[in-house]
Amino acid sequence: MIWLAWRQHRQQALVGALGLGLLALFLILTHVGIANTFTSTGLQSCLSAPGGDCGPIAEVFDRQYHGFQILAALFLVIPLFVGLFWGAPLIARELEQGTYRLVWTQSVTRRRWFSTKIALIAGGSLIGAAAFAAIVTWWTGLFIRADDNRFSPGIFDIRGIVPVAYTLFALALGVFFGTLVRRTLPAMAATLGSFIGVRVLMTLFARTHYMAAKTVSAPLSVQGGGFKFGYEDPAGAWILKQVTLDRAGAIAGPGGGFDLNFLNARCPGLIPHAGALPTQAKLASCVREVGLHFITTYQPATRYWAFQGIESAIYLALAAILIAASMWLVRHRLA
Amino acid sequence: MSAAIETTGLSKLYGRTWALRDCSLALPTGKIAALVGPNGAGKTTLLHLGVGLLDPTAGSIRTLGESPRENAEVLARIGFVAQDVPLYDGFRVREMLELGRHLNPSWDHDFALDRVRRHDIDLDQRCGTLSGGQRAQVALALATGKRPELLVLDEPLASLDPLARREFLGSLMEAAAESEVTVLLSSHLITDMERVCDYLIVLSAARVQVIGEVEELLATHKVLTGPPRDHVAGADVISATHTDRQSTLFVRITGRIADPGWSVHDVTLEDLVLAYLAQPTASALPGPLGGNARRDRLEARA
Repeated sequence: MIWLAWRQHRQQALVGALGLGLLALFLILTHVGIANTFTSTGLQSCLSAPGGDCGPIAEVFDRQYHGFQILAALFLVIPLFVGLFWGAPLIARELEQGTYRLVWTQSVTRRRWFSTKIALIAGGSLIGAAAFAAIVTWWTGLFIRADDNRFSPGIFDIRGIVPVAYTLFALALGVFFGTLVRRTLPAMAATLGSFIGVRVLMTLFARTHYMAAKTVSAPLSVQGGGFKFGYEDPAGAWILKQVTLDRAGAIAGPGGGFDLNFLNARCPGLIPHAGALPTQAKLASCVREVGLHFITTYQPATRYWAFQGIESAIYLALAAILIAASMWLVRHRLA
Repeated sequence: MSAAIETTGLSKLYGRTWALRDCSLALPTGKIAALVGPNGAGKTTLLHLGVGLLDPTAGSIRTLGESPRENAEVLARIGFVAQDVPLYDGFRVREMLELGRHLNPSWDHDFALDRVRRHDIDLDQRCGTLSGGQRAQVALALATGKRPELLVLDEPLASLDPLARREFLGSLMEAAAESEVTVLLSSHLITDMERVCDYLIVLSAARVQVIGEVEELLATHKVLTGPPRDHVAGADVISATHTDRQSTLFVRITGRIADPGWSVHDVTLEDLVLAYLAQPTASALPGPLGGNARRDRLEARA
């Protein structure tokens, strides 16, 4: 049975390995240039020195490789390719071409036929996805050091161990829909839609809740010509929400700002007449009186691997359920 | 006598349509049986139930004494060629035989290779480029390479031209003779079946209509011609056509045709099948289902 599974899918394996190889080659070659720029712009030495503000240099560095952002999108969809081109046809093609009648009447049970195929293709996907995740994690490392946050959505999804879980999930989706609808093309369409749907919904609505978020509050004050927060974003954290509130908890404005009309309602005469700006002194005392403070809700950087683990576990569990359902369909519902 | 396939009350429902309904039959081992019937009569359903590709909705089926469903031991003893002869088109002929070798414990590689070579099929050719006849031969080699006790073929002749059909049937008989295998093959080409089969099963509208030894069926069915009449002593009329001066009756002999007014003619298997298919209510079944037939047979012998 292993012989057959390998003979049937070796071409796909070869194409997959070739694609992965080309991608790796491209990333290795471009990484040479990125590493050079990282040093030549002085970003590396700036980041190694404690306390310096490397923002402006990082911006120069980032601008030079702006074009590579398209790659991040590619990294996001590569797991989907496995579901579309390996998963969906795995069973559907046999059903479409009628060859299931040939192979299920050899001296092999459907259970063994299915498990061998799945084991081989999932094993191959696992190895490929692990290699892919490793090389992408390595390649994006310098951008993360420059200023990107590895915890933020989009970047979290292409590094670490989650790409492996996404890949196996996509594969299982493809196999499941192929078995359910019994035709390759509709199965590919269903895989495409459901993979994107699940990924988007999970990222938007589930991931933030894996662990209870922390909040930090910082008073806002007006000093000299500007505002002072007495606050810095927690390093490497995933910032979920930032808002400015008054002492009673009413929202004064989004992010670090506030609405002058909001203050004017609480400190009458703040704005002398329509269209005019308040004086510094009046504004400072009003802000103090109203008790403006800045609230940040976030997941701390230390939870990065916990989140990677939870996210991976969820997708692996979904994949396992889909594979079990496919096995059931193959044994009891097909033909 | 042991049965290669035995069904009781076997039924299969597709949606709201019965593909097979309350079908009880036994195919004795050692027979070469033809399963005939119009399209949609349930032939493929019966064969798929027999090789474990389908689950019955009701009733049971035993193939070589066991349920064939997900049963590797029984599957190893059955050779099956499905309709349209599915092969992996990207595989070379050699690889198809390798597949047989890897998936079947009782595989006889030399036998399978020999069967393919005998038909001048290039082992390195891709299956997708084979002619219909070659394809059928490769599939037959794959099915017989298992050295099965039961060989089941679903419309193996459908896609073949007359020459390839004759050649295929020839090699099927050759293979059957070499390994004393029970053969069950479905077809709507009754003439071709007549040459090779010694057992007949007629399916019509999801039910078994006729089952029995070809020799016996031909011996007990006659065409009578004579002056216009509807009934005849010593025979059941299956169908009748009348002209002003003459009646032609297709009958099953139940006793002796004593009336010298009838002239008795032999029938071909095709006549027999067509006569029954034209009369869906008539049947010729042995055993409890068709008690008449058995009693009749006993009387005829006595």
